[in-house]
Amino acid sequence: MEDIFEPIVKAENLKKTFALSRKQQRVEKTQLTHKVAVNGLSFSAYRGEIYGLLGPNGAGKTTTLRILSTLIRPDEGDAYLMGHSVRKEPQKVRDCIGFLTSELKLEGFFTPDYLFDFFGAMHGVEKEVLAERKRELFSRFGIDAFSQVRVRDLSTGMKQKVSLVISIVHDPDVVIFDEPTNGLDVLTAKVVTDFLVELKRMGKSILLSTHIFSLVEKLCDRVGIIIDGKMIEDGPLADLCGGKSLEDKFFEIYYGLRGEVV
Amino acid sequence: MKLVALIKKEFHRFFHDPRLVFTIILPGLLIFLIYNVIGSFVGTTEKYQYKVYVAGESSLTEVVKATVEASGSTVEFVPIGEEEGKAAVKDEKASALLVFSGNFDAAAEGGSVEIWYNGSAESSAFYNLASAVLRESAMRFSVTGHSFVTGQDLAKSFIANLLPFLVVTFVFSACMSVTLESVAGEKERGTLSTILATSVKRSHIALGKIIPLSCIAAIGAASSFLGVVFSLPKLIGADLGALGGYGFGSYALLLLLIMSYVPLIVSVIASVSTLSRSVKEASGYTSVVMILVMLISILSMFLTQLGDWVIAVPVLNAVVYMGKILGGELLVWQSLLAVGANLLYTALLVWLIAKMLSSERIMFGK
Ligand SMILES: Nc1ncnc2c1ncn2[C@@H]1O[C@H](COP(=O)(O)OP(=O)(O)O)[C@@H](O)[C@H]1O
Ligand SMILES: [Mg+2]
Repeated sequence: MEDIFEPIVKAENLKKTFALSRKQQRVEKTQLTHKVAVNGLSFSAYRGEIYGLLGPNGAGKTTTLRILSTLIRPDEGDAYLMGHSVRKEPQKVRDCIGFLTSELKLEGFFTPDYLFDFFGAMHGVEKEVLAERKRELFSRFGIDAFSQVRVRDLSTGMKQKVSLVISIVHDPDVVIFDEPTNGLDVLTAKVVTDFLVELKRMGKSILLSTHIFSLVEKLCDRVGIIIDGKMIEDGPLADLCGGKSLEDKFFEIYYGLRGEVV
Repeated sequence: MKLVALIKKEFHRFFHDPRLVFTIILPGLLIFLIYNVIGSFVGTTEKYQYKVYVAGESSLTEVVKATVEASGSTVEFVPIGEEEGKAAVKDEKASALLVFSGNFDAAAEGGSVEIWYNGSAESSAFYNLASAVLRESAMRFSVTGHSFVTGQDLAKSFIANLLPFLVVTFVFSACMSVTLESVAGEKERGTLSTILATSVKRSHIALGKIIPLSCIAAIGAASSFLGVVFSLPKLIGADLGALGGYGFGSYALLLLLIMSYVPLIVSVIASVSTLSRSVKEASGYTSVVMILVMLISILSMFLTQLGDWVIAVPVLNAVVYMGKILGGELLVWQSLLAVGANLLYTALLVWLIAKMLSSERIMFGK
C-alpha cells in the first residue's frame, strides 16, 4: 500500500555546479570558473497539489526541474518521484512524469493529432489506450476543432493547448512545468492556468516554476522560495505569507538576505 | 516500436511536403534539363548512313545492324582486310572497322572483337552503339575499342575527374537540406529535450534520424547521379550513349560507393547539428565541412598516384574509386572495402550522436 502522506516528489539536498564557458563569463561579467546553480536544495510536494517554485531569474529553478525530470544529473543529493530515484531509476521516473517548458515550439509541419500519436509512441503507450485518451483529452481541452490543422496555422493559444495536452499523453502522475506562462500574452496565459486547474481537478500532482507572484497566489497550494540555488522558505501558501501578500513576503525575505532594510 | 515511430515521423514530414521533395530532386532535374536544352542545340539525335568495314566474320553484325536500324540510321557492312580497313577508318573513309577473331562464332570462348573508329561524330556515334550492343552479349568474348583520336579518352578522363566531384557536392547538399532542419531544428525548437524526457533510448533517437534521413538523401543522390550520368557525355560533346559505355559492374560499384557516402555525410551533419545550438549555427559549421569535402575531391583530381590507404579515408575513398571506375578500372575489392569503411564510420558516428544526446553539456549547456 502506498502511503498517501508520502510525498510524491521529494528532493533531498540537491546540488548542481556548472563550469562556466568564456562566453558566459563575459556575459555575466564574472571571473568565476564555476557557478553553483542549485545549492543543497530539499523540498517535498504532495499528491493532488500544485507546488510552485518561486524565484528570480538565475535562482536555479530550471536546473532543479531538469534534475527532477532526469534531463541532467545532480552532483550531490537525490530526488524521488513516485518513489523512484532520479539517479538510479531515471527510466522509471521518465515514465511517470510529464515535462513541459515554455521554450518548447512544436514542429509547425505536423497536426496536433499526429504529434499526440507520436509522443504517445515515444512514451510507449498502447495504440488503443492512446486513441481513447486522445478522444478524451482533445474534447476536454477543445482541441477537436483543429486537431487536423497543421500547428503552424494555429494561434498561439491553440499551440499552447496542444503542447500542454501532449505533455500528459502518457497519463503521468506528476506534471512538471518550467515557467508555464513565460512570454505568453494574457489570453494564452489564461489557457495555461485554466489547464493547470483542470489538471489538478483530474487528480494530477503539479510542480511548476515561476517568477510571477500572482500565478502562485492563484494556483499553488504550496510554495518554495528559491534564491541563489537555496530553498529559503517552503510551505503551504497561507502559512508562508502569514497574512501578507506573497510579493511583500518575498521582498522581505529577499532584502533580509542581503542585509538591507525594507 | 519507438524507433519505428521516430523513423516514420521523418518520412511523414518529407513525403507530405512537396516543397521538400522538390528541393531534394531538383539538382538532378536541373542537370537533366540543362542536358536537354543543350542537347537540342547541338542536335545529337542525327541519323547516319554508316559504312563499316568488317575483318573476320560473325553473325553478330546482324544484331548490330538491327540496333542501328532501330535507331533510325542505316549501316552497310563491307568485308575487308584488317590493315586496309584501319587505314580507311583513319582517313575517315569509313565509319568504323570491326575485327572479329578467327572462327569467332564457333569458338566456345576466348574470342575477341575490336572496334576501330575515328574522331568524327558519325564514327563515335557508331562506336557507342556497337560497343553497347556487343558488350551486352559479351559473355564469352572481349570487346575492345581503338580510336584514332584521343578525344574519347580525353572525354572519359574528364568525366572520371569531374563526375565524382559533382556527385560528392550534389549529394552533400541533398544531405544538408534534409538533415540540418530535422536535427538542428529539433534541438532549437526544444522538441528534442521533450523527447529526451521520455523513456526512449538515446541510440534510438540517433538511429531514428540517421536511417530515414539517409534514405531521403539517397533519393536526392540518385537524382543527381542520374542527372549527371545522362548529361555529362552530351555536355562535353561526346555521346557515350545512356550508359556511357560502362559495364553493369561499374555501375553497381559506383552506386554502392555513392550510397555508402550518403549515410556517412548525413551522420556527419547530424553530429554537427547536435553540437550546435541553432539551425543557423549548424549550417555555418556544415558549410565549413562542405568546403572541406569539396577541397578533398578537387585535390584528388591532381593526386593520381594514391596508395590503397585512401580506402580508409572518408570522402577521399569515394572520390578516388569513383574516378577510377569511371576511368575504366574495375577495382572491386578496394571499392567494396571503401564502402565497408564508410558504413563503419557511420556506425561510429551514430554511437557518437547517442553519446552527445546523453551529454548534459551538449544538450543543455550555455
Ligand atoms: N548548462 C549551464 N551551464 C552553465 N551555467 C548554467 C547552466 N544552466 C544554468 N546555469 C546557470 O545557473 C544559474 C541558474 O540557472 P537556472 O536554473 O536556469 O535559473 P532560473 O531557471 O531560476 O532562471 C544561472 O546563473 C545560470 O546562468
Ligand atoms: Mg528558467
